[in-house]
Amino acid sequence: MKLTALLVLLTSTLSWAQTPTADQILAKVDANMVSETRSNKTKMTSITPQRTRPPFEMAIMAKGADVAAIEYIAPVRNKGTKMLRTGTEMKMWDPESERVSTISGHMLRDGMMGTDLSYDDMMSITTLRTAYTSTLKGTEPCGNGETCYKLELNAKTASISYPKRVMWVDTAHHIPLKQELFAASGMLLKTWEMSQVTQFGDRWYPLKMVVMDKQQQGTSTVLEISELQFDVPLAEEVFSTRWLERH
Amino acid sequence: MMLLLRLAVRNARRNTVRTLLTALTVTFGTAVLTVAMAWITGVFGDVLGTAADAAGHVRVVDPDFASREQMNPLYEHVTGVAARAEAIAAMPGVSDVAPRIMTGVSVSVGDEIGEVFALAMGAPKAYYERRMRFDEHLVEGSIFPGQSPKEIVLGATVAKRAGVKIGDDIVLFGQTQDGSMSPLRGPLVGIVHTGTAAIDQGAFVLLERMMYMADIDDAATEILVFGEDRDDAPALAATVSAAPELNGLTVQAWTHREPWSGMLAIADVVRGILVAIVVFITALGVWNTMMMSVMERTSEIGVMRSMGLSRMGAVFLFVSEAGGIAVLGGLLGVAIGGAAARYLEVVGVTLGEATTAQFPSDIPMKATLYADMRPDIAMTAFLLALLMAAIGSALPSLRAASIAPVEAMRTGRR
Repeated sequence: MKLTALLVLLTSTLSWAQTPTADQILAKVDANMVSETRSNKTKMTSITPQRTRPPFEMAIMAKGADVAAIEYIAPVRNKGTKMLRTGTEMKMWDPESERVSTISGHMLRDGMMGTDLSYDDMMSITTLRTAYTSTLKGTEPCGNGETCYKLELNAKTASISYPKRVMWVDTAHHIPLKQELFAASGMLLKTWEMSQVTQFGDRWYPLKMVVMDKQQQGTSTVLEISELQFDVPLAEEVFSTRWLERH
Repeated sequence: MMLLLRLAVRNARRNTVRTLLTALTVTFGTAVLTVAMAWITGVFGDVLGTAADAAGHVRVVDPDFASREQMNPLYEHVTGVAARAEAIAAMPGVSDVAPRIMTGVSVSVGDEIGEVFALAMGAPKAYYERRMRFDEHLVEGSIFPGQSPKEIVLGATVAKRAGVKIGDDIVLFGQTQDGSMSPLRGPLVGIVHTGTAAIDQGAFVLLERMMYMADIDDAATEILVFGEDRDDAPALAATVSAAPELNGLTVQAWTHREPWSGMLAIADVVRGILVAIVVFITALGVWNTMMMSVMERTSEIGVMRSMGLSRMGAVFLFVSEAGGIAVLGGLLGVAIGGAAARYLEVVGVTLGEATTAQFPSDIPMKATLYADMRPDIAMTAFLLALLMAAIGSALPSLRAASIAPVEAMRTGRR
């Protein structure tokens, strides 16, 4: 009897010792999602109750957390449009105005090309461990039969786009399969789901994301990622105004 | 009859100070009424006239656009506008047809977006010339001279805020119907100053350019229809809505659209209340004078009644006296009020553009408001002066007529 009790105590202690802390989970999430450089093609489809839009196709090159360059490949109307994000500033070149324009401030939080994603969402990656304090709320079933850690994240500074996040991180690959993004008031702003988690070297990354802006009625945006490469050398020129103006 | 009229004149002359005071009361009332009616007619007429010209005597839109107009959903547009506009133009009573698209933009001359906001409009050149009367309000440059299809005209307020000048290459950043950022670049060819905040804060391009910005081909959010007279809009709407080409679309006369339907009702109520107040106060003054006159001359009335003056004769005597005073006071009041209204018609009252900018964009309130002095206003004010006299003298006259001759004659001896 004593032996059984000892075994139970030992097992539960070991089990507790094996459960990672919220901070450790976030570190693994960041290790998957944030990279030195990244290049890929993305098909972005916006679904609205009103009508079906032609999907956007774009080539994306990113460096670190907040430097990214996008060139639109399709549809024809947007082909050739380029966007460059460096820090808190975004510049855009488009074939109609043939001019580099600067987008800053609140406009970065507006819907990108009328989709559920903001320019911030698309062109910067938040290093979660740096930006948020986190609390582990236990484990829950999520996705397609996976088990997820449920984390609650609260922003360390007021300048973060989403002051509060609740995320479900799968225990196997440490990808946030589902996120709920909140305003400071507690209002749900967006939901963000990730799937088709694929291995790239020693990291895992989702190739499909579905974002729903809860301030819109019945809209959603699907991101399908292809030709994804991490930590590839990217020319410095790509992240310059000269690249924007070259056409 | 002539005797009674002579008696009425003599009564009026008997106490010239009192008669003069009564006449001045009527003069004052009539003058106030004239100015007030001219002012209301001018201000409301100007706002409604500009609104009807800008918004169309009749408007054709998609029903979903009409129900969510505050959101300006560009995707709820009318397709095939060229063919539909052609069909409408051929209808009886239609003098102009203008498809139009409006949306919010930011105006940029440098590389920073989001500094100056404007309400952008895309419409045919004829609409800007004939309905917006841009030629009259042009302060610099010209209205779409046709050197380039990309030409842009700005309202004076926007041009000043953006710090642009004629010839500058400017960019209007708007959105497509799906919400994608959509810039329009073109040369600034004209600056207009209308005095109406909603228009002076506008940016204007040709319809085809706005179709490109909104990413809608051969479509517009509105088709504006104009007849000869804006007051005939309901009849025109009935004609237009019967067209098979417009099946499933919403056709509305401007008088049935908010906020103007509400404004028309308000204008009528304000005018009615104002007239009632002025008529009441002036009639009170006339009543006071006539009542005093009756009381002073009660015994005289008794003598006249005993000599055969009928009750109706007594009523006629006092109404004639009041009528005579009202004619003189009314004419003088219309002259004075007419002169003041004419002054307001020419010089106007300046509210300032900062004040008018506070009004909603669909109420085109001008920075300077003018009265509209018309002959029918003078005639109405004069007739109301007579009405004031009739109301004011009615009670005293009836009192005079009801006095028994014997009783009346005794009154003077007490």
